[in-house]
Amino acid sequence: MKHVSTSRAASWLLASAALALLAACQRFEGGRTVAAQPSIGEDAIAAVPLGDVAGAVSTLGSSIANPYGSDPQAVQQGEQLFVKMNCAGCHGYGAKGGIGPDLTDKYWRYGGVPVAIYKSIYEGRPQGMPAWNPALPPQDIWKLVAYIGSLGGTYTPDQYQASIQGDHVGDNVAAEVRPTLAGAGAASAPAARTESAAQPNAEARPDVAGTPPNTKP
Amino acid sequence: MHLTLQKVPVRLSLALLLGACALLAAAQTPPPAAAASAATSPSGTRANFAPNDPPGEWHSQARDYANTRYSPLDQVTAGNVAKLRVAWTFSDGTQNGHEAAPLVFDNTMVLVTPFPNLAYALDLTKAGAPIKWSYSPNPTPVAIGKACCDTVNRGGAYANGKIIYNVLDMHTVAVDAKTGKEVWRTKMGDVTSGETMTMAPFVVRNKVYVGNSGGELGVRGWFAALDVDTGKELWRAYSSGTDEDVKIGADFKPFYPWMVGKDLGRTSWPSGMDRTSGGAVWGWISYDPETNLIYYGTSNPSPRVPAQRPGYNLWTSAMFARDATTGMAKWAYQFTPHDQWDYDGVNENVLMDINFQGKPRKVLVHFDRNAFAYTIDRTTGEVLIATPFAYQNWSTGIDLKTGMPGVVPEMQPKPGIKLSNVCPPDIGGKDWQPSAFSPRTGLVYAGIFNLCMDVTDHLQSYIRGAPYDGMEMTRHPAPGGNWGEFMAWDPVAGKKMWAIKEHFMTMSGVLATAGDVVFYGTADGWFRSVDAKSGTVLWSYKLGSGVIGQPMTYLGPDKRQYVAVYSGIGGVAMLSSSMPGFPPRGSTLYVFSINGDSPHSAAGMLTTEAGGTAVQSGPTIGGKR
Repeated sequence: MKHVSTSRAASWLLASAALALLAACQRFEGGRTVAAQPSIGEDAIAAVPLGDVAGAVSTLGSSIANPYGSDPQAVQQGEQLFVKMNCAGCHGYGAKGGIGPDLTDKYWRYGGVPVAIYKSIYEGRPQGMPAWNPALPPQDIWKLVAYIGSLGGTYTPDQYQASIQGDHVGDNVAAEVRPTLAGAGAASAPAARTESAAQPNAEARPDVAGTPPNTKP
Repeated sequence: MHLTLQKVPVRLSLALLLGACALLAAAQTPPPAAAASAATSPSGTRANFAPNDPPGEWHSQARDYANTRYSPLDQVTAGNVAKLRVAWTFSDGTQNGHEAAPLVFDNTMVLVTPFPNLAYALDLTKAGAPIKWSYSPNPTPVAIGKACCDTVNRGGAYANGKIIYNVLDMHTVAVDAKTGKEVWRTKMGDVTSGETMTMAPFVVRNKVYVGNSGGELGVRGWFAALDVDTGKELWRAYSSGTDEDVKIGADFKPFYPWMVGKDLGRTSWPSGMDRTSGGAVWGWISYDPETNLIYYGTSNPSPRVPAQRPGYNLWTSAMFARDATTGMAKWAYQFTPHDQWDYDGVNENVLMDINFQGKPRKVLVHFDRNAFAYTIDRTTGEVLIATPFAYQNWSTGIDLKTGMPGVVPEMQPKPGIKLSNVCPPDIGGKDWQPSAFSPRTGLVYAGIFNLCMDVTDHLQSYIRGAPYDGMEMTRHPAPGGNWGEFMAWDPVAGKKMWAIKEHFMTMSGVLATAGDVVFYGTADGWFRSVDAKSGTVLWSYKLGSGVIGQPMTYLGPDKRQYVAVYSGIGGVAMLSSSMPGFPPRGSTLYVFSINGDSPHSAAGMLTTEAGGTAVQSGPTIGGKR
């Protein structure tokens, strides 16, 4: 228990640090070529775990957004990079898959939130995905993440737990299960178990709020 | 019609054809099995079936050096093939394209799977053919993402008491055929550079010949000989670079003068590009014991975008004849100079001897991806016949005086411009799926495609280990609407004799037999048998997944003839996976016999005795991923 609470505390510290960094670098002007270098700390990104981690529940995946968001110019530049850097050679023109996986669906072996996709590009992945650090600077990787995000298969940062639990928008939710598609608060899964199933989802987001969970009181 | 550059005198080929038809019409009494391999067709076309393995066995993917895929077994005939039923099955648990044929020797069957490239030996003497041994080479998963077209493997070879095959991550392995113990393992390259190995090794006496894959990732193609007993590399010939690298010396005499010159493998490229040239060697190898020449083809040039590599790009999309001992090139022929459409030259070369224009000629028959069927003098490299076997619009035909294809200017891709209806597409009028030859009909049988593409080129930069490709494509059926076709081809007349249209792709190998029935499969999972003469479909059986494997046949310990084929869709057939009715993946070997009989399953003979256990690994070996 002690070990768990220690690491949980560490997680919170890192999360706070990451949030602070994030706030600092989200000062770019939307719509224009981004002058400000996105500078989310490498340490913060490195601390985001790959998938489920036994013990403490990480919120770090929820805490780091793409500094470009869905900026159309970043998306466009990301698409150009996608062809120019030969990504399309594996993932297909239109990213529907080929040698490498389809990037337009909801299946993410290594996570589908922006920071997870950033890490997959930056670090590479075992089944042949090359590591693009240092070939691509962080801002180019984030532009690729913006392009991939525009294809509709990714999760938003606050859907980090949803992404690793396989939840989709519009899922029915069994009465005993608190939907993880909700916001970051739902990431504290252990707590969810002790809560009443009848309790409305405190963190329900607009995209699920319109579809009442198919649960009995 | 721009398809009629064929120089065979029309009257002569008509006479030959009529003669052939008359003889075909005459009733033939099937000769005994032992004499079958000596049979010659009405046209006199014949093959050398060396190394003349026991008729009931199957030691290499093509069965013989000539690459005929012809079995002298004749128990299964047009009269009884409709009674074929499943005798037994085996699932290897791997989920990618199953392109290999099983090997059979000493009442043992050996299977080589797609990644992770497991090998299974099955004991054919026991009920249900239980696992005798299994072997895993434990390849790195990095290889999965470097294989352009699914993590396939085209099978192994049995030689000198060993099973020899290539592992996707650039290792060639030899396994003791009796025990499954690894005998040697040779690293042939660095998978992180984009190189992989998918082809079947080819063994002649004490040498095993192998080559690489990776023409879509800017690898430099090569062909190498290893010592069968030690795995030591004896020599390696590159598909590009200096004459020394390509193993071109004083003996090199290509038939056409435009392939003569110093270091053409370097000078026919922009400076430095011969190091990332493509020209991979991922297809089939054949061998002529009379001349000691070995034949194989090379893949597309890299990048696939032609605007980036002006020149003929030798020796890509070409073929070599080499001295099998020294590796030195004797002749070469480039099917598609400056290949702009990804028409690799890797397809099989089937060796046969024909009567051509009144003279005996030693030839090879090659169905190129560029949709032309070539009959080539295999001693000199002279193209005797080159006629289209599938729908095409890229070429005005092959000039037999120069060996050069005429190119239709409108069909040449330019960067950033979408070009519609280029035929055939990148995967060709036929891909690697090998044809079969029957000496009893003189015909070659092949599964082919009826496809075109819309293509847009994108300029590429070379990034090690990443695609070096640049072709954005969609493929669709050519006129007729069918994706596939199974055909019989007369290599003397350069003419299609008959064809069966298939809605789905026909991407399986072909088996020809002395029973005058031929076998092939379809991407939607039908396994068919066809009358070798008439092309009548005699039997069809729906398998669990699509068929891109190579059917083969063998005699069981009960002296009964069995026919076996893998069902496991994958490879480039996946480009048609959005077709309604396209099957899911699979991993099952189907073994057929008349009525499904075997010593252990025929009526009143059922036994449930388990035959022994896998000696090397646990039951989950096939689940590795």
